[in-house]
Amino acid sequence: MSSLIRLRSKRHINPQGISIISRSLITGPPPNVPTTHHTTPTSTPLPLPIPLPFFSPSTDLNANGENKPLYVPGSQADRLARVGRMSSPLRRGTHESWWSSQMGWFNAVAKTIPTYRVLDEEGHLVKGSHVPEITQEEALAIYRTMTLIPIVDNVLYQSQRQGRISFYMQCAGEEAAIVGSSAAMLENDEMFGQYRESAALLHRGFTLDSLMSQCFGNVEDKGTKGRMMPVHYSAPELGFHTITSPLATQMPQAAGAAYALKVDEARQGDCVICYFGDGAASEGDFHAALGMNSVLGGPCIWFCRNNGFAISTPIIDQYAGDGIASRGPAYGLDTIRVDGNDALAVLSAVREARKRAVEGKKGVLVEAMTYRVGHHSTSDDSSMYRKVEEVKEWTVVDNPIHRFRAFLASKSWWNESQEKELLASHKTSVMKAFARAEKLPKPKLGEMFNDIWGVAKGDEVPAVIMEQRAELGRLLKKYGDVWEPWRKERKRFVEEGMDVMDCDGRGS
Amino acid sequence: MASRAAISRVLRPASSSVRALSSASATSKLTGRNALLTTPMARVTRSESKYLVGAEQRRAASSDEGVTQITVREALNSAMEEEMLRDESVFIMGEEVARYNGAYKITKGLLDKFGEDRVIDTPITESGFAGMAVGAALAGLRPVCEFMTWNFAMQAIDQIVNSGGKTYYMSGGNVPCPVTFRGPNGAAAGVGAQHSQDYCAWYGSIPGLKVISPWSAADCRGLLKAAIRDPNPVCFLENELLYGVSFPVTKEELSEDFLLPIGKAKVEKEGSDITVVAHSKMVTHSLEAAEILEKEEGIKVEVINLRSIRPLDIDTIIKSVKKTNHLVTVEGGFPAFGVGSEILAQICESPAFDFLDAPPERVTGADVPTPYSESIEHMAFPDTDLIAKVLKRHLYRQ
Repeated sequence: MSSLIRLRSKRHINPQGISIISRSLITGPPPNVPTTHHTTPTSTPLPLPIPLPFFSPSTDLNANGENKPLYVPGSQADRLARVGRMSSPLRRGTHESWWSSQMGWFNAVAKTIPTYRVLDEEGHLVKGSHVPEITQEEALAIYRTMTLIPIVDNVLYQSQRQGRISFYMQCAGEEAAIVGSSAAMLENDEMFGQYRESAALLHRGFTLDSLMSQCFGNVEDKGTKGRMMPVHYSAPELGFHTITSPLATQMPQAAGAAYALKVDEARQGDCVICYFGDGAASEGDFHAALGMNSVLGGPCIWFCRNNGFAISTPIIDQYAGDGIASRGPAYGLDTIRVDGNDALAVLSAVREARKRAVEGKKGVLVEAMTYRVGHHSTSDDSSMYRKVEEVKEWTVVDNPIHRFRAFLASKSWWNESQEKELLASHKTSVMKAFARAEKLPKPKLGEMFNDIWGVAKGDEVPAVIMEQRAELGRLLKKYGDVWEPWRKERKRFVEEGMDVMDCDGRGS
Repeated sequence: MASRAAISRVLRPASSSVRALSSASATSKLTGRNALLTTPMARVTRSESKYLVGAEQRRAASSDEGVTQITVREALNSAMEEEMLRDESVFIMGEEVARYNGAYKITKGLLDKFGEDRVIDTPITESGFAGMAVGAALAGLRPVCEFMTWNFAMQAIDQIVNSGGKTYYMSGGNVPCPVTFRGPNGAAAGVGAQHSQDYCAWYGSIPGLKVISPWSAADCRGLLKAAIRDPNPVCFLENELLYGVSFPVTKEELSEDFLLPIGKAKVEKEGSDITVVAHSKMVTHSLEAAEILEKEEGIKVEVINLRSIRPLDIDTIIKSVKKTNHLVTVEGGFPAFGVGSEILAQICESPAFDFLDAPPERVTGADVPTPYSESIEHMAFPDTDLIAKVLKRHLYRQ
């Protein structure tokens, strides 16, 4: 990685005659990027980055008159002691600072935050790059998930359009970021998703049947029992926490889970990964979470999918600083910006992030730069706010699946016939799971009243719940067979609502 | 549970005002822990309360057979300490809870006993540490999350309601969230609109949350211990003005295994003429009003201490109303969509409605943001005299 970044320093004298070293981190312009790349109109330009000016710390406060405090009351000994105390960095709330007679204004900690990549847009290894350790088996597993998710997305997206499910969210364009990061995590790790991470879940072993069952909310939906909107998966057996709709609330929770791992002797070596988007990073919960995690500790990878849009809001209307990565140093977190469309770079960066997080029991921030090719959700039509050509360009020029496939081909791990075979088998299995899930009955009607409060052993279910259940049971008993709409509706549910008809009439 | 004899001891007339307490504090260890002296928002209460037991009474009571006096603060502190000893996964987090011993000294001494990993000072971000508590609970711990006051928990209400309260249901009953949120709730004294609000109705309206509003030291011990052991997210709404108040507790109530069932009310004083339902500090005022009415008019008031707002023990109220035929609710919150409103609605929908001899009535705080100025703040909340007056009018004795 270090060979990728050429560090250039040059010393020059500014008009005031003060010697300043300007530092720039240069990766060179990405190859083969057309000038029209990413053309979504912007309203405000980013401010010119002015990095931290270079100061030389003065070692002896009293060596020359300039740095001598003007007036400090007390005896000479008191004065020196106080100067010493006041000058200690922590006394001033910083980790390391020094006194300076120059006003040092800055709006960036680095002139450029480099974006780490292993493969270029066409899937060739970038000069000087280091390919992470990866077996053929691992690489193909990643590729299988990366190619599976577009097919799943397509089928479920269309089914929403046909009114067969109520809602869906695709992850088109972000396959490398999501699958690459998931592949870097281990079995006992905990995962907090935002909502666009179904590929991460699939890569962890969530079956197509489980996924389809959740989207249809049928009787096999073990994770949410038909109580949650599509894509709001929950899979505790895979360490995948329930997706919550309100943006960024998963972040302080991830900090809490990381803290739990930190203090649990049995879970040393495990790690949390928390996904969020560039829009979520504007929520107060983002700052709350990073603040908590940086102070209280706990192994956590903060994985930002910077896909350029928060629904319709482009990043340029979302923040004026240098992306999300620039916020990591503000919380003292190890931070990296990575090419989110490069599965190998994401894998490599998240592996290193995981190592740092576990070893230091602390948070690490990864900003994956990617592009949301799909619409935000089925409730969105992105052609209203960005050009269709722009989206098309991304699928052609910087397609994460094509890039990774080129790498596989270069290793002779993949060929045309395998590709055809894989896509065909994906299609078959997705359609099979889809058809199966759609036909399955809805969960027991009584599930509506379960799990509102956990009931400890020996406790009883709160009366307010039993009353509602009994009332529904009583009405079903009375009208369930004789009123046509209910008779029809009952048939959609497993046990046809018989499970709530065991009431004792208390709800009447 | 406090015995009837113990209650009457609390009811014993006491001339002690807060001033008397503070002067006595030099000589008594117990009074040194008086809430009104150690809280950052210390204010002198206006009316003399018989429940603010002075040092003399306390010592006398302590020498009694098997019954001691402890403050609500000590009750909460000991409840947390015992649960932390009992279960290693219990820990406390919040602003100022560790080194500063809590803004109201409820977590006093816990840092020394349990260390920094289990008593955690967090950065000042309510949504952050409430969210962390939820996340730690989802990952298998049992956090106790202290809010400096429930007013500040508004910043974290999304984590409490949308995540804490609903995850168990949303996760198909697979992921419980055993977190206890606690802190002072309701009007204190002289802290104005933004620090004087009762959140019982807010959290009480959410299916999935349990809401507790304790009154006595025994309530606090039994219910806080039960809340920490409960598999659900619990909002534990304390009252700042009660922190320094002493209550008699029995040996049983001081035992490590003492638990009170969440969702059960307690009849604090039996009576046959009218039912008064109150919670938190209003139980004090209701009991005092009941005593006045009994002495002056011979009216026997039944006072129910709600203890839990959710689940609401409506059965106890129904039973009482069937006996007394009259119902008045007393609370320190706003009237609209409040705890009293809910109780009245449920009673009117229940078989107890046919037993009512008069329209049920609510006594609540005024429907205005709590004013700061002492003279008008005083008028914004019910007190003993007002409750007594309402009860007399309700029974056509005026």
